[in-house]
Amino acid sequence: MPRHQQPLRGAIISNSIEGLDQLYRSDHRIQYDILEITADFQPDLSAYQLLIAPNGTDHVALYRMRDLIHAFLDRGGALLCCDGWFTDWVPGNRWVMDNTKKTIDVRYTLRDDPFGIEEEFNIRNLNFSHGISGWWACGYIEAAPGATVLVEDTWQRPLVVVDEASTKGIMVLSASGPLADLSYATTDDSKAYAAMSNLYKALINVILQRTKKEAVG
Amino acid sequence: MKKIGLIFNGVWSHYAFAKATKYQELYELLYIHDLTAGQLAEMDALAIPFQSNHKAIAERQDLIYDFLAQGKKVFVEGDSSANWLDARWEDRPVNNFWWVKDPTNPPVSDTDYDHPVYRGLTPRQAFWHYHGVYTRIPGHAQVIQSNVDGEFITWETTHYGGHLLATTLDPIVEHGIQQITHLDNYCDRLTEWLIGTRPEGDFVIDQGDYGVAF
Repeated sequence: MPRHQQPLRGAIISNSIEGLDQLYRSDHRIQYDILEITADFQPDLSAYQLLIAPNGTDHVALYRMRDLIHAFLDRGGALLCCDGWFTDWVPGNRWVMDNTKKTIDVRYTLRDDPFGIEEEFNIRNLNFSHGISGWWACGYIEAAPGATVLVEDTWQRPLVVVDEASTKGIMVLSASGPLADLSYATTDDSKAYAAMSNLYKALINVILQRTKKEAVG
Repeated sequence: MKKIGLIFNGVWSHYAFAKATKYQELYELLYIHDLTAGQLAEMDALAIPFQSNHKAIAERQDLIYDFLAQGKKVFVEGDSSANWLDARWEDRPVNNFWWVKDPTNPPVSDTDYDHPVYRGLTPRQAFWHYHGVYTRIPGHAQVIQSNVDGEFITWETTHYGGHLLATTLDPIVEHGIQQITHLDNYCDRLTEWLIGTRPEGDFVIDQGDYGVAF
């Protein structure tokens, strides 16, 4: 079987938070493993092409394994982080918490869309959960030079970034906006729920397209 | 100054809360995978937030119960699916929109406003949403809050020496997230109950605390 037809192997970093095992579903495209954080956590990432730092992850453990992550990216790996990385383990990009804006004023918009993610998800549906705005993301990203900002907030601050410039791999980052196949604990508003899930699928497609390109190349 | 140890598994909302100017002198982050008895000996109370690593806590539960046996206070919030508490926690859908849809009918129906943490709070300040419920609590526990189905949301016991206060509310996490604007009321009373000091000032975030080594 050609390499690009094999499922991608994804490693989900687990902070043993309730319900994590329900969020990501393996299929013919991606096979997920859950790697549980323990003391002195230094996992072997050599079998994986995708590393996921889910919402509620452990940024102390990730900081302590940053050399492994940088090496993983430099061999062309894909990182998806959908949490607030207050420690400096994501190359080139910084997440900053902020409470100076009111959630009632928050709206999400697409800035650039070179990957065509709008075909797969409706950003307008991400804006409100049961009529409440500002529910999905927290803070904002100071994106690396050369990174693509896909989603921004009312004040043009990056919320979803794809960075193919800082390393030899690809990084897909959200400003703590949860991204998963399923996440009933985040919202049960059907439109908001679908938007979040479809955005995740669209971003996974960005990663798969890149992986396919590299396999062909 | 007395200090609260915040049991920490690298979750950003825990960090944001403990680093906010209002709380930074009162709370100290204690990384769960490095936790020692020596660290706890310097603490006057403990807080264990929602989204904690309960497997790691369960492996170190003797440290928590030894702390309680010294007559100190421990606050546990959110889910606690690992069985280091003598109680049964079960998941439930999170209703964080009741105040928009039906503000006169909150999911929590009973609150003991004589408890020091809840004294003086309005119903909206005493409840925003919960993460699951306790369907069984220790026989020696006192119920502080319950929901409309009679399931336990907040309870307390002194059976282990000090005070153990457990709730499926998530005040520390939500205050760290800063999307609910009234949580100073709960968190300030909680802090005062834990160590006798009422925090003052605003919840100010120093952006220099982000993108750091740890």
